[in-house]
This record gives sequence, C-alpha cells and structure tokens, in this order.
Amino acid sequence: MKTIVALSTPLGKGAIAIVRMSGEKALEIAQKVFSCKGEIKPRYMMLGSFCIDEVKEKCLMVYFKAPFSFTGEDMVEFQIHGGVTVARLVEERLIKEGAVLAEPGEFSRRAFENGKISLDEAESIVDEINSESEAELKVSLSSASGKLVGNIKEIQNSLTELLAEIEVSMDYPEEDEYEDVRGKIFDVLGESLNRLNGLIQVANEARFIRSGVNVALVGKTNAGKSSLLNALLGEERAIVTSTEGTTRDVIEAKSDIDGVRFNFYDTAGIRESRNKIEMLGIERSKKTLNESDLVLLVVDGSEKEVDDEILKLINKPFITVVNKSDKKRVLKTMPNEIEVSALKNKNIDILKRKMYDMVIKKKIDFNGVVVSNERQLGHLIDAAKEIKEIFEKKNESLEILSMLIKKVWNELGKITGETENEDIIALIFSKFCVGK
Amino acid sequence: MREVYEAIVIGAGHAGCEAALALARKGHKTLLTTISLDAVAFLACNPSIGGTAKGQLVSEVDALGGEMGIIADKTTIQLRLLNRGRGPAVQSLRAQTDKVMYHTEMKKVIESTPNLFLKQAEAVKIEIDGDKKIVTTAVGDEFEAKVIVFATGVYLDSRIIIGSFTENTGPNGFKNAKMLSKSLKSLGYKLLRFKTGTPARVNRRSIDFSELEVQKGEDDIQTFSFMTTHKPNNIAACYLTYTNPKTHEIILNNLDKAPAISGEIVGIGPRYCPSIETKIVRFADKDRHQLFLEPEALSTSEVYIQGFSTSMPSDIQKEMVRSIKGLENAEIMRDAYAIEYDCLDPLQLKASLESKLHEGLFFAGQINGTSGYEEAAAQGIVAGINAALKLENREPMIISRSEAYIGVLIDDIVTKGTNEPYRMMTSRAEYRLSLRQDNADLRLTEIGRKVGLVDDRRWKKFLAKKKKLEKAEKILSQKLKIDEKLKNFFEKNGENVPKNSVSVKEAIKRSNIDAFKVDEEYGVFSGFSKAIISEINLIVKYEGYLQQQEEDINKMKKMECQKIPSDFPYKKQKGLKIETIQKLSEIKPENLGQASRISGVSPADIAVLSVLIKKYKEKNIGKE
Repeated sequence: MKTIVALSTPLGKGAIAIVRMSGEKALEIAQKVFSCKGEIKPRYMMLGSFCIDEVKEKCLMVYFKAPFSFTGEDMVEFQIHGGVTVARLVEERLIKEGAVLAEPGEFSRRAFENGKISLDEAESIVDEINSESEAELKVSLSSASGKLVGNIKEIQNSLTELLAEIEVSMDYPEEDEYEDVRGKIFDVLGESLNRLNGLIQVANEARFIRSGVNVALVGKTNAGKSSLLNALLGEERAIVTSTEGTTRDVIEAKSDIDGVRFNFYDTAGIRESRNKIEMLGIERSKKTLNESDLVLLVVDGSEKEVDDEILKLINKPFITVVNKSDKKRVLKTMPNEIEVSALKNKNIDILKRKMYDMVIKKKIDFNGVVVSNERQLGHLIDAAKEIKEIFEKKNESLEILSMLIKKVWNELGKITGETENEDIIALIFSKFCVGK
Repeated sequence: MREVYEAIVIGAGHAGCEAALALARKGHKTLLTTISLDAVAFLACNPSIGGTAKGQLVSEVDALGGEMGIIADKTTIQLRLLNRGRGPAVQSLRAQTDKVMYHTEMKKVIESTPNLFLKQAEAVKIEIDGDKKIVTTAVGDEFEAKVIVFATGVYLDSRIIIGSFTENTGPNGFKNAKMLSKSLKSLGYKLLRFKTGTPARVNRRSIDFSELEVQKGEDDIQTFSFMTTHKPNNIAACYLTYTNPKTHEIILNNLDKAPAISGEIVGIGPRYCPSIETKIVRFADKDRHQLFLEPEALSTSEVYIQGFSTSMPSDIQKEMVRSIKGLENAEIMRDAYAIEYDCLDPLQLKASLESKLHEGLFFAGQINGTSGYEEAAAQGIVAGINAALKLENREPMIISRSEAYIGVLIDDIVTKGTNEPYRMMTSRAEYRLSLRQDNADLRLTEIGRKVGLVDDRRWKKFLAKKKKLEKAEKILSQKLKIDEKLKNFFEKNGENVPKNSVSVKEAIKRSNIDAFKVDEEYGVFSGFSKAIISEINLIVKYEGYLQQQEEDINKMKKMECQKIPSDFPYKKQKGLKIETIQKLSEIKPENLGQASRISGVSPADIAVLSVLIKKYKEKNIGKE
C-alpha cells in the first residue's frame, strides 16, 4: 500500500494547517525532511524544522505507530503555518520523497479497511476531509453528533404511530374502536412532508456551503453578462467584447460572499442562431440553467426591448439584473430587479447581498440540524417525493397505503439506521388494547 | 427390547400431528407419542381456527399437503372472512370449529395413516448416540430413531394458576411433562419460561342472549383447503358483549389476588393476549372491553368467553363474569386459568427447524416460543418435512419470507428470537401483498410436490387450476369494442368513456370497475371459478405494486445468496460494533439477508460485514 499525503485542514484559512501522511514509509519519508532534537517517539509532539529546499519551516510533528493511528497504519502529522503556499510546498516535498497525494476520503477508507471505523462513521468523516471551508467542517461535525438523525427519527416515530394504527385495524379487525384511520393518514403525512421539506431546505443551504451555489448568468447577447461577471469577481475573467455572441463557452468562476462560495456559469446569449458553434453554446446554456441554484437574468436597462423568451426558460429562483444604470433607463420594471452598472461597479455589493439572501434564507444554525452529505439528502428528497405520491393515491386500500407509508419509513430508516419492523408491532401492543 | 423407528414425534398437538403425518406420508416409519390420547389435536383455548394472518398459515399448510385446513373445513360450524374492506391481501378466513369434532377427526386421520403409530406415552429422557436417538418413556420403554421432532406444546414443566391455587399440570387438567425439560437442559439447550392463559367456559343455558348482538357466518366464501368442495357449515352463532365499570371495579378491588400482577407468575405472557386484569390496568382509560361468546362444540353447552382470560381466584372470576350483560346468571363450568411452561429459545434453531446443537433433532410449535394452533401446525409440517428430507439425505426445505407466512414465522423466530409467545400478524410480513390466503395454493403446491407431500389428486387439481389461470390471463388482452354498450358500461360505473376500444385489462384497471363487473357485463370469464377471477382482478389492479414488491424481493434474495461461512470468526473482526459481534456470533445467521434482519444490526453493519466476509472468503481461498 502506498504512503499517502494530504492537507487535512481547510485550505487557506486558519493559523495552523495540518498535513498528514499514512503508510509504511511515513516515518522514513518524514525523517528525510524533518529534523529535530532527540529521537522521534510515537505519540510525542516533536518541535523541529521542515526543509523546503533552502527554506526551513519551523513546525510540530507527531508520529503514530501502527496500529495505534487513525488509519491503523504508520502515520505522521505535520502542524505547519496556515496559508495555501506553505501547505502546498510541504505536500510537494513529501511527494518528491515518495508519498502520493491521497484520493478523496482515502484516509477514512484505509481506516475502515483496517477496522478502525465503522462505515457510518466513515461517511461523515469523508465529508469532513473534503470540506473546503470552515463552515463546512462545522456542518460535518454537527452531523456526526447525530442531530439530523434525531430529527428524522421524530418524523419516523410519527409514521410509526400511524402505521401501528393502520396495522392494528387490519390485524385486529374485530376490535370495534380501531375502525377508521383513513382520516388521520393524510394529516400525519402532510405534517411529515412539511418537516421533510424544511430539512431539505436546510440541507440545500448546507450543500451551498460545501460545494457552493451555482449561479447561471443568462440574458440577451450583449446585455453585459461578461462585464457583470468581472465586476462580481473583481478580476478579468471573461472576454468582454461588443460583438454579439462572442462568449460561446460556459465559463466557470468562483467568488466568496460572506463565506459562501458562488460558482458562476456564464452562458452564451440565448437566441435563435444558424451558426453551428453558437447553437452548441445555446444547448449548453440551457443545461447550465437546469443545474443552477440561482439565475441572474442580465438585461440592458438602456434598451427598450426585452426577450420574453428568456424569461420563460428560467425555472429557478432568479434576480433580474438591470445593467447599464449609468445610461438612461428606458426598460420597463422587471420582476425581482436590481439596477447595477457593471462598468462603473455600481450596486454590485447590493447585488451580492441579495444573491446571498436568496439562497441562504435562514441563517444556518450550526448547532442545529444539518444534512451533511448527498446520500442523506438523497434519502430525504426521495422520502418527500414518496409522500407526495401517496397524496395522489388517496383512494387505495389500507394495505396499499400502509405499504407506501412503510416505504417512506424505510427511506428515512436509511438515515437513522432504524429498520426494525418490531417498532410498529411493539407500538400496536403498547398503544392499543387488543387480543382475546 | 428397544423399538426402532425412522422418526419419533413427541407430542400430538397441532405441530406434532402435522409433523408426524408429513413423515409417515413420505413413507417413514414414525412413532407419535402423546401424554394423553384424549389430547390429540386438542383446541385448548378458543374453539376457532384462522383469523388475520393465521388463516393464511392454514391455507399454506394445506398447500404443502398438510391436514389442518381439511379438518378445519370439515369441523367448521361458522365461517367468516375478515377485513373485507381493507384490501385483498389482509383478508383472512376465521372459522368457529367444533373442538370435539376437530380432535376426533384429526385422531381418525392419524390412526388410519400407514407408517404412523400413535401411542400414549410420556417421553422423559433423550439420549444421543451418534446417529441414533433414544427416547425413554416414563414407564421405562425405549424407542430409537434417527430423527426426533419435539412438539411438546405447553406441557414442559408446566403449571396452571388460578388465584392462589396452583398445580403442576398441563392445560385442561391433562398431565404435564415433568422430566423432559431437564433432559433438554442436560443436552445443552437454553430454555425460556413463558405463560399464557384461557378464559372461563360457561353453560349456554345460563346465558341471556336476548339483548346481545349476534354474529353469524357467511355462506358464499372460500374454504381453508384447496381440496374442500363443500360449502361451509354455517350453523353456529357467536354473541357480542362488553365489560363495564362494574367489572372493572371488581377487578381493581381484587388486584392483590391476581397472580399475574402480584408477581406470583414469573413467565412472560404475550402482549397481544393479555388477561383482562392486565388490560384494565394498562388501559385504564377504556371503560369497556369487547367480549365474544363462542360455542365450543355442537355436542356441548360450553361457551367460551373470548377476551376474558384471567388468573383471578375462582370466586372473583364468578363475580367478574356475572357483572357482564347477558352473563348475570352464568354458570361457570371451567375456571379460567393461566399456564406457565418451559420452551426453547428458538435462536438455537436453523431455518429448517433443526437444532444447531444436534443434527437430527427438530423442534416445532409452542416449544419454540410461539403461540396459536396455526403457528404450531405451520412449524409442524416444516419440521416433519425437513426431518423426512434428512432421512432421505436431501437438502432441507426453506420457505422464504417472500413465499409464505410460514417463511416469515420461522425466519422471525430463528433470527430474532422472541421474548413472548410469538403470534403471527399480517404486519410482520413485508411482502404481504403477494401472501394472500386465496393464492396459498399457487405459492406452495409446487414446493409441496417437490418435497413429496402433495399427492396426485391435489397435484392434478392444482395443474388444472394453473391452466385455467393462464387461459384467463390471455383473456385480458381481448378487446372490448367501442360501442353503446361499452359507453353505457363505463358511464354506469362512473368512469370516463374511452375514445377507442379498450382491452379487458384496461377496463379492469379503472378504479370503479373490476374483473367481476366486466364478467357480469360481457361474460368474458364465464366458466372460470370465483377464485380465478379474483386472482386475475388482483393481478391487474395491483400490477404496479406487485412489481415494486418483486424488486424488493429480488434485492432480499440477492442478500440471501451471500452465504456466511458457519465458522466465520466474528470475534476476530474489526470494524463491527461489539454488540453486533455478540448478536451475530450468538445467532450465526446463515446468510447476509438473515443477518440484516437481526434486531440491532444496522445496514452499515451489513455493509461492513459484507466487506469482511468477502475479505475472509478471499483469504481462505488464497490459503487453499
């Protein structure tokens, strides 16, 4: 097994960064680059210096001897000064000496394979490793403590009670008072759906913090999308020309607003075109639109006409950015609009604030419930979808409704780990007086 | 002189009878012992067979070639179909049976079956001498066989309790089995102590029925057995009455005399079958509890008070009974009692019901911690068949959870164990849409034939039904022409009139139309039995749901294909939680599917386990 290396603290921020190495050669490699007084002892924090070419970086180092380490292999950790540059140089040096860059989640995977952690722990730690910002780390930690699970369990419990009531009416049809549960079914399901939707919203926001918010810039060609993008990024990124249809490729750029990353996707102007290359760009634009979380519709305030076709294409939350406010406004009032001048950098900050507020509706409470990974979010979305489907099947027999509700229950069980049918049966007996 | 048989079945209750019949019918010389010949197939509690999920079990036993369904049909004195309004899968037959006739008829069948020898004897000791198993009886006789089926019911070291009175007997005053528990313990078996109970029986002439609600049977319904051709004999009536505040007051005032509550009874009772005193204490807010008065048999005046089991002293019982409407002057003929007994922790069994400790020992019925005649019969037939297959050096018959309630029942008890007498319920079956009472024959007859228990007569009848069903399925694609008749038909049923012709299937799919209505209008299914039309109706109506279920079943079967080596060293595995390791090494699941159903074993544990097993298998193959 190769010796792997990776920066295990968030990139860029913080006073200290930790670079970890794991594998047979960890100690051997470390000894080549690190010098300190005295002998390196397992689990002792050593003060010394890390050689990066001519430069010596003062740092702390700890050696964990197998199997008493996170991965179960020999491990070395360097605590170095924060900042991207130092960390990158340290990594590069270690790689030069024989380590390889770890695959995402590889530390956890090795820990799992060596029996150090269980799979459900691993999932959460995988997220932790991948976290690129401090906020995200908080999200994963909170998830590990199981707050989400507690919340989903509550929803699951209300469904358990409902199922128990349905089941008791079927298993004990001769007991007079458990006759009609139908009325109750849709009340409980409605409430569960509301709660799930709330969690999904929080989850989306957590995802924004981890992977960033995808923003699509759309608008008629020459409305100033590229200039706006440059204004938002504060650097030259897209090619700005005044020839219609020059921005043919979907351009990706990133920017931080209040610690949340926004990924911008500029699009070629959406308009009918006979030009083959441009057609390709338009197809891509539509795709970008579909994958976005937020759309900036950029229009030229100095023009009278607006392409209503574009408005029809937008199926996501959007802001109409009325550009060129430095010129005379002739355009009618647009839905959810904000006037800016990309060229003069006017109102760009207000636009940023508005973008932030559009996606991060509630201030995320890191101590509260969060959904930390795509898997959990996937189950939540599926469960919500399944509940919606039950509402379309109101007239089915009780046994079918029960089956469909049980499916929702199982979906939630994939998050909570509760898969026991026994719960329902136990409740039948504790809640209902049945039997001969 | 030691008598030698191929198989010995200990106990001739509902499990023992099915086990012994299966063995003998498959040609094995079988001894069936019972403590009393008068207790053969005795309905010790309520005079009724079937009910939700239990009805399905009876029809499943029948499809495998068992006897319970046939005898139940023969001795039915009232038959009803429960859950009519809640969907076809949860519909179950419930019969009031004549308990005297039931015993007599089953005994007659046992007595006349070739290879089967019924004998009154109390087994007291089991010895294992390699392949030979020796049973010693109380009078000192020795019997030898290669396989033994234990079907001792509630007789192991049992005692009955009525108030402060207690006596070491079996149910209904029959002798109990005093020594066998000890013998099982010395063989290394872990025993549990369970309890159950039965209500008082009162004389019919002393009941005032005039103000009670009557409940009668239904004529035009199917029967338990695929082989039954006669209509149910609906001649008996049941009556409905209730407890009242007076009853509750009597009970509450005398709680100190209730052994179940005072702590005199240590055995664990079933939650689903609580005594009336338990019900009143636990559900204090309920001001009444429903009671059914059920006739015990046509030849007796005894009436069973369903819902009123108790272990109160007899004088209090009398007061309690007489506080109830209709029973003001009731003459109690048999007191209610609680019974405590030893049973086996079923985690010691394989899915074949063979012991994990000793090859050739099988266990079935209440000794496995279950409750109910139907649950007992279901295990009995499986244990009997598997004991026979063992004698024949053939692979055991394992019925899956997706095939039958029998599969659910056995998988549940051998995988999860039970901490109370286990009762079958439809909610225990995750694939219940396909586990209907009316298709038990379609699900299991082929299996019964394969193991050699389904005789030619049943097999021929079954093949004929299958052929008919295939024919009926073809009719589904027939077109119903678009004309006035079709328009009227759809309109009449409140359905949108189609623009073009529709197939029979499309018509049945409409929510207000079903196969019976189409048949009535167009006669497309003339000549087909009601059972077949109803099967067709269901296949069409539930098509999507059944497909969904099929996907789940396939997933489960895939997991069950991942066998866990019986010597898999759980304790040496890292990455599994300690509790998980403990559970897995105790239960030793046969495959990953079974492991996933052990309580407290999470999907993450299973993911880890699957990795570990893969690792282990690869390693061991590497060594070879």
